[in-house]
Amino acid sequence: MTAQTLNIGFAPLTDCASLVVARERGIFAQNGLDVSLRRFVSWAAMRDALGSGVIDAAHMLSPMVVASAARLGPFPGDFTTAFTMNLNGNAITVSNALHEEMRQRAPDLMEELPLTARALKRVIQQRQAEGGAPLTLAHVYPQSMHSYELRFWLAEAGIDPDRDLNLVVVPPSLTVDALSTGHIDGYCVGEPWNSAAVVGGLGRTLITSGEIWSNGPEKVLAVRKSWASDHHDTHLALIASLSEASKWLDDVANRQTAARMIAAPEYVNTAYDEIVSSLTGVGVQTGGHLRLKMPDFNVFHRYAANFPWRSHAKWILSQMVRWGEVPETVDVESVAENAFRPDIYCEAVKALDVACPVSDQKVEGAHQHAWLMETQSQPIACSADRFLDGKPFDPARFSDYVSGFDIRRGEDRLGESDRSQVADLGK
Amino acid sequence: MATSLASGAGANRGAQVNVNSSDVPLRVLIIDDDPERIKLVEEGLAANAVVHTASRTHGRLLLDMISRIGPDVIIMDCNSPDRDTIESLRLVARSNPKPIVMFVEEEGGDRMQDAIDAGVSAYVIDGLMPRRVRPLIDTAIARFRHMDGLRSELQKTKDDLAARKVIERAKGLLMQHHGMTEDQAFSSMRKMSQQQGKPIKDVASNVITILEMLANKAGELPE
Repeated sequence: MTAQTLNIGFAPLTDCASLVVARERGIFAQNGLDVSLRRFVSWAAMRDALGSGVIDAAHMLSPMVVASAARLGPFPGDFTTAFTMNLNGNAITVSNALHEEMRQRAPDLMEELPLTARALKRVIQQRQAEGGAPLTLAHVYPQSMHSYELRFWLAEAGIDPDRDLNLVVVPPSLTVDALSTGHIDGYCVGEPWNSAAVVGGLGRTLITSGEIWSNGPEKVLAVRKSWASDHHDTHLALIASLSEASKWLDDVANRQTAARMIAAPEYVNTAYDEIVSSLTGVGVQTGGHLRLKMPDFNVFHRYAANFPWRSHAKWILSQMVRWGEVPETVDVESVAENAFRPDIYCEAVKALDVACPVSDQKVEGAHQHAWLMETQSQPIACSADRFLDGKPFDPARFSDYVSGFDIRRGEDRLGESDRSQVADLGK
Repeated sequence: MATSLASGAGANRGAQVNVNSSDVPLRVLIIDDDPERIKLVEEGLAANAVVHTASRTHGRLLLDMISRIGPDVIIMDCNSPDRDTIESLRLVARSNPKPIVMFVEEEGGDRMQDAIDAGVSAYVIDGLMPRRVRPLIDTAIARFRHMDGLRSELQKTKDDLAARKVIERAKGLLMQHHGMTEDQAFSSMRKMSQQQGKPIKDVASNVITILEMLANKAGELPE
């Protein structure tokens, strides 16, 4: 049998790990796949390459797939995913100067854990009162978990992310530079870019994404819908390979080996030291001054991590509606069904020793602690899915959830072209 | 060899774009690290343009630079890390997105045709020769304006339709609650619109608000 040749795009971030492991450990080859990995340094470029067929699959921001299903931006309706590559993995880091300013303005609030943005709000109020310069925070792409997590964290403390400060998009590899030169005051990015600032003594990590939403989806394996139906068996083999790689990767004993693999020049191309703490979860900075053991900083397989929950897709969509990117009239069910395909995932892992949840949705934020999910085969040990604000997200009460946020936007945030595109294609 | 791809990332209302006009120099911003490509574009544009180069300017500084220069067109590499920053421009209503010409690798270049539907305004398969630069940019700008025109036309049609619905509803309420004929209802609103110097749609929505408020109030009280 000749191997199926596949081109897969990836971004040089720690969470591309399962792709690298599947290739380096020969798992793709065992599943009859000949995979070339292509590095992209721009999410828009990766999206266009996937949409136009230059690549077959992509290590993609989960909200990019939801955006496509919600017909927001280019390639409306074209993308789907049947595999979540990882949970958590991002963090918010600020410059030493801003950290110091927060400590001076609100020493009491800086002792919180998880650290909310209340101290930051004091800084903003003080600066507004004194006519000082507004803060500038960065994320990596408008439709990214980084953007929604940063906005969620700010708004939870009463900071309006569109009015009280500047939010800009900065490429991940340039965030540390921008922080050290003072062009930005902080950012929400994936690894290794938080560790790089901490290791380099340039900034402090205030909160990790797992503390904003425990075990939220980060990257997914995105494919074109048309490709998924034309290459069903190849798609299944790809998912089975990544499931196996993710399982290997989730074993703590393998994380250091994995860190060496992905730090290599052809992948993330960074120092082992900058990648290892987030991967092993040992000595992860949070709260601005603590180094904690956070074994769940990156989750690749356990807790049914690879299952594409439609409730995850709906939460992402809820933030798109909240921030005025998608109209309130959006067909929530249809977007979730088109974006996330748990049925394909379950078909792909059927032959493996991997249990599948029996429902494709759950109330997110209903579990404050570890819990056991019953399935038709063995039960799955799951972990918390709580939100920083303590409010659960019931996917059946989508509109109530969105209207329950004090700080949100109407459709006025969108540019003209996006608005007409959404209105046009959203029918 | 590179193919070139031009994209418009959004609306461009009110921007001064100088297509086919040689007396006003074109303002061009090149975001590129490749000195040869920068030179090639500069040569191709010769004296007809003011060329700004951003090779080590990123993120917020890049956005500041764009708003300071107000380029007529941005030229950049398709896989530049700055692409996501440029892309975010169109999500900010107050910003004024520009036509973008992109260098793409030859591989898959023909398939990037699909990207035209994704907001791209011109597309050329050719090695980039200096003499091709200006026509390419002019095509990109013209295409961008054309797409933008279609978009604003569509928006206007939608706005008109929405306005008509509001006016119809207000007419209905006036007829129902004040015994006016359709003509009377419309001309009274038009008169008010002229007197107040407000669009008739705004007058109509005020009428709806007030009449509904009165109707609700009347409903609360026992007869």
